[in-house]
Amino acid sequence: MSTRHMTACALVALALGYGVASQASAGEIKIGMVTPITGPAAESGKYAQIGANMAIDEINAAGGVNGNKLTLVVEDDQTTNPGAVAAFSRLASQSDISVFLGSIRSTQVDAMSPDIVKLGKPVFIGGTAPQLTHQGNQWLFRCRPNDSYSARVIADFGVDTLGLKKWAVVHSTDAFGTGGMTALVAALKTHGLEPTLVQGYPNQSPDFSAVVLAVKSSGADVIGSYFTFENDLGIFAKQLKQFGVQAKWVGSPSITTSTALKLAGPSLYGTYGIADFAADSSPEAKAFDAKYQPIAHVPADNFGSWTFDAVHIAAKAMADAKTTEPAKVRAAILAIKGYKGVEGTYNFDQNGDGLHGYNIVRNDGGKIVFDKHVEYND
Amino acid sequence: MAIFLQLLFTGIGIGAVYSLVALGFVLIYRATNVVNFAQGEFAMLGAYAMVVLTEDVGLPYWAAIPISLVAMGVIGALFNLGVYYPLRHRSFLPVVISTIGASILLTNSVLVGYGPAPESLPGMFEFPGFQVGEVFLDSQYLLIIAVTILLVAFQYFFFEHTLLGKKMQATSQDKEMASLLGIPVARMIMLTFIYSAILGGLAGILVAPILFVSVGLGSQVALKAFAASIIGGFGDVTGAIVGGLSLGIIETFGAAYISVPYKDAFAFLVLFGFLLIRPQGIFGEKVAQKA
Repeated sequence: MSTRHMTACALVALALGYGVASQASAGEIKIGMVTPITGPAAESGKYAQIGANMAIDEINAAGGVNGNKLTLVVEDDQTTNPGAVAAFSRLASQSDISVFLGSIRSTQVDAMSPDIVKLGKPVFIGGTAPQLTHQGNQWLFRCRPNDSYSARVIADFGVDTLGLKKWAVVHSTDAFGTGGMTALVAALKTHGLEPTLVQGYPNQSPDFSAVVLAVKSSGADVIGSYFTFENDLGIFAKQLKQFGVQAKWVGSPSITTSTALKLAGPSLYGTYGIADFAADSSPEAKAFDAKYQPIAHVPADNFGSWTFDAVHIAAKAMADAKTTEPAKVRAAILAIKGYKGVEGTYNFDQNGDGLHGYNIVRNDGGKIVFDKHVEYND
Repeated sequence: MAIFLQLLFTGIGIGAVYSLVALGFVLIYRATNVVNFAQGEFAMLGAYAMVVLTEDVGLPYWAAIPISLVAMGVIGALFNLGVYYPLRHRSFLPVVISTIGASILLTNSVLVGYGPAPESLPGMFEFPGFQVGEVFLDSQYLLIIAVTILLVAFQYFFFEHTLLGKKMQATSQDKEMASLLGIPVARMIMLTFIYSAILGGLAGILVAPILFVSVGLGSQVALKAFAASIIGGFGDVTGAIVGGLSLGIIETFGAAYISVPYKDAFAFLVLFGFLLIRPQGIFGEKVAQKA
């Protein structure tokens, strides 16, 4: 074979992604990250990057993965579905990226999913809509518990612990909120309950008076909620107080984030939330929070914790597989059992779900206090 | 009945927010015949100026307001010099595109300079509002409604009864003729941008305690405010107010009695209806003449 032919073959091989995908020699392993840098969720994107970079620094300080240093390549999803698809497309065109961190927002994961299937490389996600990992996309791996668990925890806690039976379910009409609402209604059914109100709302609403008055009129004594954006949650929380609604409130994780606490302030005092990350839930979570706070200047929450875990799990899988070849990394991820992350203990099932339980926390005068962890075996 | 009154108050309150931003659209349009799509960003900048002055610099709330408004005036002047003035002899479209570009630039500049974290700004009053029977009257909404009424009165007086206002109107209607009559056209337009930026900044300061301060604050209300301007009759001060209030009330009642998820659709259905049946809007005679 002439030098020209060899060069041509090498170029074709590189173009097909073989050059880097299966390498395990000294160098670097790139992790692609789709996250909001602009748009209404840009703050959460900042925290997601902090979490991922903390993990990368730890791994690189310990010698990297198979002798390679990890680097992060970030693309802005602009907090929109088209932005997420375009960002993933830009990353997917770089054949030397081995694994990806997708979005924490289910609607964006949904939008990217067809391209992820086409690419055929592992993508870690934080979106919690149950269907994301149940639609045959074998390349999605979730580093947060899905909403079939969150809904069960909300329902079980509200009914069994708080003893409340009249439910108003308030949810965003996006993929995350609708998925959560469906799961919560189903979970309440297992307790023999029908919600007195199921109320959707469009994201980025300047006013929630119609929703709040619907809750008030329904006579509900407990609200179960799935809010996507904290500013929506903040406006809803303030109007809830203003209009004198006395119902208890058990919310999805957005009610526990630092942003929500800052924006809504006293309006959230006394509320309950379910949280995949709670600093007091484990020694690993406590240690992460201690390292995270000086960097982010806010207490750790799920935005930073899931990317921290995702990078560690990706690194572990590539180390276990001793390669970055997608199929072998996938098998290594699915083989991970009993891995103690900061979000909880990971036991990946065949759908790609790593976590199967939630923490219950309460807002005690603006501080998130850990109550208990609820784990499911299915 | 209590629910009806509560919805009516909230609808008027949110409508007044749209009206305030719409007034800025109208003002620039009357003076330059250009739609300024960065008007929402003026609101965002005004709110951020307050956050910087009260939280970072530590100024008292009431002292920070005039300083923020002066800063907005400077931004308005710079906006005129950088975005409008170089394109003043071009057609409508390049100037509009220039304002869209400026809107993106301003949003991302704040994002780079201040970061993505949304901030909460306290209301102007310590007390949250009044409880009248079963209806809660939010003090911030009351303030917005009061300021909107004052601004309408001021703008009406200014445009109809002052020489400066008439000069600005003349500039809007025919720049060449205004120039021949000795009106300093460039200065009139500069003044319009300064006032419009101050107005936008004031709107931002007023709505920030309700909607929080984020880079998306402007776009959150600007699109509805623009729709309100068209419904009211683009270029008409009374139209902007009536359009804004109508939109706020329609979407609030539509959300409560028909469907919350389709709340935004009601506003734009009304807009489509007007565009089809009465494109000049409710008070649109002047627009028809200009066209």
